[in-house]
Amino acid sequence: MITLIRAIGQFGLFFGSLVGAMLRYGVPLRRITEESYRIGIQSLPVLLTINIFIGSILTIQGYISFGPLGARHLIGMFVALAGVREAAPLLAATMIAAKAGTEMASQIAVMNTREQIDALEVMAVNPYAFLVGPRLLGILLVMPALTTLAILTTVASGWAVATFQLGLDGQQFLALVAQTVTGRDLLISECKALGFGTLICLVSTWCGFRAPRGPEGVGQATNAAVVISSILCVSLNFLITQVFYG
Amino acid sequence: MTTPLLQPGLNLLARLGAFGIFSGQLIWRTFTPPWNIREVSRQILRVSLRCTGPVLSTTFPFGMVITLQGLQIFDLFGAQRMLPSLITTAVVREISPLLASVLIAAQGGSSYAAELGAMRIKEELDATEVMAVDGLRWHVLPRVLALIVACPALQILGATAGIAGGYVMAVWLQGEPSGTFIANLWNFTSPLDLAAGVVKTTVFGGLIGLIACYHGFYATGGAAGVGRAVNDTVVHSVLTVFVCNYLLSSMFI
Repeated sequence: MITLIRAIGQFGLFFGSLVGAMLRYGVPLRRITEESYRIGIQSLPVLLTINIFIGSILTIQGYISFGPLGARHLIGMFVALAGVREAAPLLAATMIAAKAGTEMASQIAVMNTREQIDALEVMAVNPYAFLVGPRLLGILLVMPALTTLAILTTVASGWAVATFQLGLDGQQFLALVAQTVTGRDLLISECKALGFGTLICLVSTWCGFRAPRGPEGVGQATNAAVVISSILCVSLNFLITQVFYG
Repeated sequence: MTTPLLQPGLNLLARLGAFGIFSGQLIWRTFTPPWNIREVSRQILRVSLRCTGPVLSTTFPFGMVITLQGLQIFDLFGAQRMLPSLITTAVVREISPLLASVLIAAQGGSSYAAELGAMRIKEELDATEVMAVDGLRWHVLPRVLALIVACPALQILGATAGIAGGYVMAVWLQGEPSGTFIANLWNFTSPLDLAAGVVKTTVFGGLIGLIACYHGFYATGGAAGVGRAVNDTVVHSVLTVFVCNYLLSSMFI
């Protein structure tokens, strides 16, 4: 319990000094494009694959659940609400935590092990502004785009499964999706994506910085990064849903 | 002579083959003595304790979220009393197996990769091999078996937490009548659904264990290699879990 409170306090201090450093020293702009390109392009294949399967699972599950109600033709609505509002943004964030977040944690932990972060400090470069700043702004740039793609993939694969595997009316499916999803839903999902991106980046880099040196430290940091950021993303998702839809 | 276009595909095939040989060796060692039962039970205890917190702290809020969204859909039909039965099927069949497996891959699987990777980099695994101790049998097999046992157990815990989350949201926060919620809980859920969840997670547990131990056991390249092993473990095992989940769910329609 005390360890937990201490960790929260350390995280707060980390966040404070990060914001201070970014305001004071500025963020190297050229590295933002580099980081956002890397985070976006590397996560994209994994993200799309996952979302194809989320869409198909939602459709199959809806088919099973709505069967007893005699409302099989309403699956489009179920996929639209469950996929666009909750499943696609949340699981996309989990995958980005697994792919980009673990990579941030292990990169920074490896730099720490090799004393490269000390070297940066010796050269009067602030490690927070130089290492975390571009990653934070980069992930904030790509998260909405990735989430939009995730939502589109989910709906498309839901349509494909409904039409080809379950033999339902594809036109009706798409019409129901278009009818159910409002601009507000999409906007809230993008807000969620921005929140998840911030959480993933801050938690992963923090885990990287506080890792003990050596190979075990790198492993532990990477492990902790993905677990803590997925738990926090699920909790944040609950909070945002409760605030906007509750 | 291979063209550069073909090379990534060939690399993938080679790694799949290496993974197959690794799995085959483990399966052979599962059915031949000596068995290391004490180590297996120690690993079961360790991995269950490590993963319980993460599994519970994701399935509970997720149960609350789907209840909140579900209430809005069912308000349209005036069919709120159907909601608990649908939540139970969704949680038991899909959400809890998937979320629990993703979290077990993130926590248990990646900690396996980190441990074994660090042992490989520090040449501890080589040292045990020099002492004629079979690394696969003593370090890897107990971990894989532990995940196969722990995964279904954690999934059942997760399903309970998800339904509890639904109850908290519907009854305490949204003011639905508690009796209706409890009475309709098991309407659409059959023992087959529970069995399907357990079968799924047993398969997922085995796959996560194999993938994690494969990446950790063959980690190369110093401290950065351990990080890469953990990263690959999480990504590959989550992908595998989702693909298998789709196949298994289609089977159980």
